[in-house]
Amino acid sequence: MSIVETPPPQGTAERPPSLLRRCAALLTSQQSILLVVLIAVMCFFDFHNSRFFSTSEFSNLIVDFCEAVLIAAAETYVIISGGIDLSVGSTVAVSGVVGAYVIQYLEGHHFGEVPSLLVGTLVCAGVGALVGIINALMITRARLVPFVATLVTLSAGEGLALVFSKGGTIGYDPVAAVWSATGFWIFTWLSVIVLVLTAILGIVLHVSRYGRYNFAIGSNPFAARAAGINVNRHVASVYILSGLLAGLTGMIFYFQTSGGAPQSGIGNELEAIAAVVIGGASLVGGAGRFTGTIIGVAILTVVHDGLTFINVATTWNEVVVAAFIALAVLLQSLSAGSKKLL
Amino acid sequence: MKSRSMRLVQGAAVASTLAASVFTFVGGTAGVANAAAKKYTVDYVVGAASDPFFISMRVGATAEANKLGIKLVWQGNPSVYSSATQIPIVQNLLATAPNALVLAPTDTKALQPLVAQYVSKKIPVFNVDSGDANQSNITAWVTGNNIQGGKAAADALAAAIGYAKHCTSSSKCVVAIGVSSITTSTDAARLQGFAAEVKAKYPNIKALNPIVSNSQPAVATSGFKQDLSANKVAGIFAIDGTDLEGASQAILTAGSAGKNIKVVGYDAYATTIKSMQAGKISAIISQQPALEGKDIIDAVYAKLTGKGKIAHLTTLANVVLTPANCAMLCAKYVYKAA
Repeated sequence: MSIVETPPPQGTAERPPSLLRRCAALLTSQQSILLVVLIAVMCFFDFHNSRFFSTSEFSNLIVDFCEAVLIAAAETYVIISGGIDLSVGSTVAVSGVVGAYVIQYLEGHHFGEVPSLLVGTLVCAGVGALVGIINALMITRARLVPFVATLVTLSAGEGLALVFSKGGTIGYDPVAAVWSATGFWIFTWLSVIVLVLTAILGIVLHVSRYGRYNFAIGSNPFAARAAGINVNRHVASVYILSGLLAGLTGMIFYFQTSGGAPQSGIGNELEAIAAVVIGGASLVGGAGRFTGTIIGVAILTVVHDGLTFINVATTWNEVVVAAFIALAVLLQSLSAGSKKLL
Repeated sequence: MKSRSMRLVQGAAVASTLAASVFTFVGGTAGVANAAAKKYTVDYVVGAASDPFFISMRVGATAEANKLGIKLVWQGNPSVYSSATQIPIVQNLLATAPNALVLAPTDTKALQPLVAQYVSKKIPVFNVDSGDANQSNITAWVTGNNIQGGKAAADALAAAIGYAKHCTSSSKCVVAIGVSSITTSTDAARLQGFAAEVKAKYPNIKALNPIVSNSQPAVATSGFKQDLSANKVAGIFAIDGTDLEGASQAILTAGSAGKNIKVVGYDAYATTIKSMQAGKISAIISQQPALEGKDIIDAVYAKLTGKGKIAHLTTLANVVLTPANCAMLCAKYVYKAA
């Protein structure tokens, strides 16, 4: 069998799209529309209570955004690589509890606040990475499908967080909580660190070879393997990265709640997946934009916080979030339909 | 060779999962008090077993059961307070044919069909803490007086914010509220008591819509931060320990904006009492979980042996702990650890 390439008609080959077309494509892209929706939602909340566009509220929004963005970023990597990680929420809980124990121990032994917190951060990241390694081994060695493998660690993580903590919050660290609220303008120092890390993750995904491998594997793992990519090693690294980011989120929750609570992060994996879906990533892998996830997280944060802000019963939260997911899916299908027409 | 090693890894993965599950199960929920040589077996199903409230209840119930020669089978989802997780537990226990069931229902209606099945098999059912909406199948119910507790919370909060001095019809005092669940009878009763007292005695208080934390401190913190940012909040009513934690945290990180906010909340955990003594909480409404556990076991024993009278409804008063009376009362009412 031979493949015959048909030359494109003369005059149309290799012609870059005009500036007008590119602008039109940009303006009608899913992310642009979602960005407009995000701004509209914010204006709506401000219309109901003019304190919404205030530095204190923006500071709150950024703090809540930072609680969610790292695991959403992790989920973006995993989903684009063709997998899914259900364990990120429970990893937040278990790493936060273990980290809190370590910090409590070190502070009790006069180790100093800052060194204790730094060691606690490393421990949280380490526990998260350990969960990631377990996921990676189950997926790449035992050949479990990612859904099942991470369901195992989701369940075990939730249980272990409760066993370790005996159900209560570990430690009480108001100094850490007060530090986490300090910063400049609308940014806390903690949120600056998280935002910088998020930016690095975005750049790595879209600019580096590592990111390109991620898309290639998610798009077609067989072709990626044939092209010389060590698929198993890459997939393992993605799950370890995901665990590590979830572990760091455990530390963020430690700062927010003055301790390690076994309930922290539980269920947040679904919110992270929702943010990725709203952002336009394909759940079958190989496609997605990091900026889309960022907008997805921003929308979910603004909706959750904004409804409380304007004194709407919080029971409406999930309904509104569901509406946004439906909107995102609709935009995706409309976009796919318009491409077919073109 | 490769497939063999793969099977080994698969086996190890499954084994580790089972080990983790067993570990979780043993540490989190199940417990049998003195299994041998007990005359009666009583299944005791609570909401979130790891909640210090239920841990304290378990201490009281277990001590009384041991005294009376009752084998107690303690069950409950480790962390999730929901009828979705409680129903399968109650359903499975039916097959073990206990002598009685003590149930703290997580929903006022959802457990009723199962309760009817127990009753049809001549197994008496008792409610503790929360109760079923329809009490016709329930032999006895021991609960805290949550409506009274809600009212006491409103009085304590009004006093703390200086209602008479600071709240007027033109400048109402805004109060934020946090609950864990709105479908639980206890939370609903506290809210009802609080709202009724505010309506009757404090018309110049504006209560915001409650934040539903689903027992997650971080969710409560985030919600209270929104309330604090959107309004000039004078006080917070935290309906349980989780929300109390969330309120303290929101105030702590609010800096000077949170300085004058007064907090009244439920549940006398050791940590919340410490916060009150440090001046961060104005008053704590304490229930009596250990006594609830003891009293319901007494009622079960009376039913099974025919000895003694059974009151259908026993309501234990909620107690207001303040910095002024703490030295006298806190040690008595603090929730006991396992």
